[in-house]
Amino acid sequence: MLDTIREIETPEGISLHLRAAGALPRAQAWTVDLFLRMGVFMLAAIPLSLFGVGGKGLALLLLFALMWAYSVVCEVWLGGQTLGKRALGLRVVNADGTPVTWLPSVVRNLLRVVDALPGVYGVGLISTLIDPHARRLGDIVAGTMVIHVSELPAGQQVPSQAAVPLPVVLVADEQAALVEFAERSGQLTPQRQEELANLLTPLTGRNDSAAVRQLIGHANWLLGRP
Amino acid sequence: MELERISVVLRPRAPREALDLGAAMLRANAGAVWSAWFAFTLPVFVICNALGVMLDLPWLGLVLMWWLKPLFDRLPLYVLSRAVFDRTPNWRETLRGQRQWSWRSTVAALSWLRIDSNRALRLPMELLEGAPRKLRSARWKVLRRRIVADTSLLTYGCLQFELVLFLSAWLLGAMLIPHEWRADSLGDFFRNDVRDASTAWLLLAAAMAYLAMSAIEPLYVACGFALYLNRRTQLEAWDIDLAFRRMRTRLQGLGKVLGMLLACTCAWPLSGQAATPSGVPRKPSATSLQQVFRQPVDSADARFAAAAAETYRDPRFGGEYTTRKWVFKYTPKAQPNAQPIPFPAFGAALAIVFKALMWLLLIVAIAALLRFAWRWRGQLAPTPDEPASAMSPGVRVSVVADAPLPADLAGAARALWQAQHQREALALLYRGCVEQTARLLKVPPSADATEADWLRQAAAIDDPARAQRAIAIVRTWQFAAYAGRYPDDAGMEHLLSGWPVEAGASA
Repeated sequence: MLDTIREIETPEGISLHLRAAGALPRAQAWTVDLFLRMGVFMLAAIPLSLFGVGGKGLALLLLFALMWAYSVVCEVWLGGQTLGKRALGLRVVNADGTPVTWLPSVVRNLLRVVDALPGVYGVGLISTLIDPHARRLGDIVAGTMVIHVSELPAGQQVPSQAAVPLPVVLVADEQAALVEFAERSGQLTPQRQEELANLLTPLTGRNDSAAVRQLIGHANWLLGRP
Repeated sequence: MELERISVVLRPRAPREALDLGAAMLRANAGAVWSAWFAFTLPVFVICNALGVMLDLPWLGLVLMWWLKPLFDRLPLYVLSRAVFDRTPNWRETLRGQRQWSWRSTVAALSWLRIDSNRALRLPMELLEGAPRKLRSARWKVLRRRIVADTSLLTYGCLQFELVLFLSAWLLGAMLIPHEWRADSLGDFFRNDVRDASTAWLLLAAAMAYLAMSAIEPLYVACGFALYLNRRTQLEAWDIDLAFRRMRTRLQGLGKVLGMLLACTCAWPLSGQAATPSGVPRKPSATSLQQVFRQPVDSADARFAAAAAETYRDPRFGGEYTTRKWVFKYTPKAQPNAQPIPFPAFGAALAIVFKALMWLLLIVAIAALLRFAWRWRGQLAPTPDEPASAMSPGVRVSVVADAPLPADLAGAARALWQAQHQREALALLYRGCVEQTARLLKVPPSADATEADWLRQAAAIDDPARAQRAIAIVRTWQFAAYAGRYPDDAGMEHLLSGWPVEAGASA
């Protein structure tokens, strides 16, 4: 089955899912960062230009800091997110899912020099498109990756109804599907709800809206409501 | 549509994540997509450019290839929409399959909808659903809700990527050209080189643009298709549909097994019941909690109520407690400011800055004080060698550990003792004792032996009287050195007479 997830299993047998972020969101985050940094530089350069050569020197120092230190400082101190990445809900983590530390962050940002070849990030783009986890060369060398952190807004609450006990024992996946149906039934048309509920006639023994009601009752029972 | 055959993991994703699913789908089916793509677009590219050259309009190839993009989009979409259901077509099937799809939407996309930032999403809706016109606009309204911004961003992002690849190719070429062959400036390059052979340069540009487009356009279509899939998963709960179908097949299988079992169990008691005497009433099986526990399980149960009340009295699980606190009876009136400041916000900001500076200054001052206190701690303390300076140099030398002991040990120690240098006198006595003990036991006196070591050594002396005296001297020295407790004059005199101070004495 095709998916964008990188699965990591911990020694305790817990599997962590990292949702790798692809080229498009990353390019958008980079663009946001670029405009932010340009804005800061321009705002600072206007008053600095009043101070002649010294001011120019300060402006160049600021430019250097914005180009090289900004990403590293943000990634280490702001939880792996530059401001652009935060806006797009992305985060840099180590390939094993742990928070990124100084050395990997410095390495991946220094290797921007290579990724930016031949001047317009061509190498980085091609690398991101080819790699299955959308890593650029800097990420591959530093052992990091960029993941999605923002969750979908949670579904609606399960509508409360009198709980109906399940006649048979269901495995965890099936229970989750029942609860998910109850949560998302508000977003579906009534016809579609009935269509889905009719699939489970062997379980409910009913059809159409009665079946929908019974499934929601089952979901209430699974959630431990009275 | 057979949802069971789907080869991607369906779950509601954020639109941005759906874009990444599109890239993953394209990566998985790269061979099928690009073989079909080049099989169709490469001849078109050649024809367009040949047409441009023949009409003496060399830019025509570049423009036409860009204009025909919506036509080319059909190929990746065909491959991906089949590959999602695990039926990847080869390029011949793809080209042949284009006849099944209506051309009406492509004509629209090539004419009045050519500049449309939602093409990626419109494409799968129109080609895969093929709904009649009236339904289509309603459908489009539902489909685009909430993801129209992401679709537009996708379009601009892909445009940007194409530009990046196009420019990268040129810049890479420029890097590889030797310095002496390059034009002096970009202006020169366009004024001289390009004008001299404009057709060749334009054809080269068209080729580069075609390659960049070939790399990115399938990605654009795939991402749009993934957005479409995700939206339909949201709208129609495809993932739940799949889970329910799986559950249904399992339950139906289970139902058959259960039916068999039921039939068996029904058949068996029929034969068995005849043997049992029918007069014995059968015990009814418990069907509810009340019957199982033989008591009511609700609030009417007195024991349960008592236990619950007991639990609530436990302070860990609740209970009542009283808190006391002081509250102002009246609120103090705010003092009106003496005079309003101009730019209050600016003034406040300035005040905060200066406040921070003052705090910083205070911290620095305290840190500096601490630092100097640490550095000068030895020099400012009262000099510890004052009593030593009062001592004559001769005395000092005899006390220092590595100086040889004076010949008249008892006299030297007594002189020190009477000159109130009690500690030094005892130190001398201790050293003398140690030396005598070492000589007696024939062990080399070692510099790192402690008082405890010498106590142990003294215990090994054969003569118990001598051993006792040596121990007494070491103990006296220990009391003096570590506790500042000195013996009286008589005690000192007792230690100074006999062994070990007088080496030959018999103790």
